[in-house]
Amino acid sequence: MTTFALDTATPDPALALVGPDGLLAEAWLGRTPGGGRRVLESAHHLLAMAGTPVDAVDEVVVGVGPGGFTGIRIGIATALGLGQALGIPVHGASTLEALALGAAVARRSSDELVAPVIDARRRQVFAAVYAVEGEGYLHEVVAPAAWDPDDLARALEGHAPVVMAGDGADLVPLCAGCRRAAPGALDRVRAADLVARVRAGGPLPVAPQYLRLPDAEENRLRREREAAAT
Amino acid sequence: MTDLVLAIETSCDETAAAVVQGRAILSNVIASQADLHAVYGGVVPEVAARHHLTTVNAVVDEALDRAGVGLAQVDRIAVTRRPGLIGALLVGVATAKALAYAARKDLVMADHLHGHVAACWLDPVALDPPFVSLTASGGHTRLDLVEDYAHPVLLGQTLDDAAGEAIDKGARLLGIPYPGGPGLEALAGQGDATAFDFPVGLRSRGPDDLDFSFAGVKTALLYATRELGDDGVADRRADLAASYQEAIVRPLADRLMRAADAAGVPAVSIGGGVAANGRLRALVQEGAERRGLRVAIPDRTLCTDNAAMIAAAAHFTPAIAWPEFVGEDAMATAPPGGIAA
Ligand SMILES: [Zn+2]
Repeated sequence: MTTFALDTATPDPALALVGPDGLLAEAWLGRTPGGGRRVLESAHHLLAMAGTPVDAVDEVVVGVGPGGFTGIRIGIATALGLGQALGIPVHGASTLEALALGAAVARRSSDELVAPVIDARRRQVFAAVYAVEGEGYLHEVVAPAAWDPDDLARALEGHAPVVMAGDGADLVPLCAGCRRAAPGALDRVRAADLVARVRAGGPLPVAPQYLRLPDAEENRLRREREAAAT
Repeated sequence: MTDLVLAIETSCDETAAAVVQGRAILSNVIASQADLHAVYGGVVPEVAARHHLTTVNAVVDEALDRAGVGLAQVDRIAVTRRPGLIGALLVGVATAKALAYAARKDLVMADHLHGHVAACWLDPVALDPPFVSLTASGGHTRLDLVEDYAHPVLLGQTLDDAAGEAIDKGARLLGIPYPGGPGLEALAGQGDATAFDFPVGLRSRGPDDLDFSFAGVKTALLYATRELGDDGVADRRADLAASYQEAIVRPLADRLMRAADAAGVPAVSIGGGVAANGRLRALVQEGAERRGLRVAIPDRTLCTDNAAMIAAAAHFTPAIAWPEFVGEDAMATAPPGGIAA
């Protein structure tokens, strides 16, 4: 089984090729604007580097977010296009869960919880809290949601000790018993962790986790509520 | 089978795929999102992009099924790369690139406006150059001289609103729900087009001027409705609609004829969403007959956004060989002059 995995939900899109005996190759696009618009080009280079023709891929795993809307769509459209043309399965995996698995090495003890945090723009973050059990296994303590950073900090205090990781961790005020993982590799998604998550916990539907309505829909609902209130 | 093209179009609010062989349309599948956007009174880019993603693979499957071909038999894949809503375009481009990459097909990055012009190349219209083409839609209003389908030459375009945009805005002023085109046309059919003297959408800078302007007409309608008041508008909605429609479609037809005269071509064509308007079709037919010109008016499905027209444009656009297209990207805007093959 050769699995191609990609995640373009964050500003540091990630790719991996995983064989039956483990990781064959992995790459990041680097901090790049445009939501991973270069992801197929990078995938082509990764496959060439690994000596694996695209036809030899048996399944695709894609990060479904949360994160940047355009990036999530490019990733999923690319995954589904590959799956459709090759006639192979495409599985979804949570970007936050992959981030949590990667950040688990920063824990000081195995009962410290992990809070992956992604910058959602507009002074919000996408975050969740997990108890990581290792090898792709984790337990969801707080479900993924869009948070105001102050509210998240208050929520985390109730779950301390918690370690935060991800490009949104800096936006969240520190609370008692909370800390941030040292930045660097722990702040980015590893695509191989998506595969680990699917193998350990089963796949998610290949549907974007936007966690936020389009602005126009938000405004329409607000107008409806206001009209109902008067 | 040869020259079999699978085309994908997601530039605005239609998710479309088609299979075309030479000039023959084997399938032309269009999933319209119009109902989704109606509650907002216009196309919402984020809503459009979200819906394209949930629909595009099924639409591609359906197009292949209806054509009775598998992806393996396709010679080339084509996709709209510009202009349009960037988030919407990116879904189609990412899908087409991945399909072409995995199936080892060459890819054509086609231009949406080129597609509207090239729709006339398809059967049964099968118009041969030279001719002058009018494209009028919610996003564009332009005249092109087509001496060669590969390189349409821009003759004139709107200086402000697109014709379809003016129609939608006017429809909204008259309380017609989005999309306003069909509703406005139906209402106009019951009214008197000479009842109100709206400035026609011509900005006259001399007899050679082939540009359009529709901002003034829209403003004139706004003032007329204010002057009439709610009751007055209710009484005269049909006359307002008829006069307004005339002020938009008549200059389109007139400038098309003027351009054909100037270019000395034997034929004219119309395309784009506004080309579905019955009054415009009648005026173009009438004007062309008077001049002894041949008229190409494609079926309504080929006038509004569709993927068969993208396959037609792809016929005249160089393909990018596998796997060189992997770095190709979508673009929101067209280059100066508009159509680039
Ligand atoms: Zn169009």
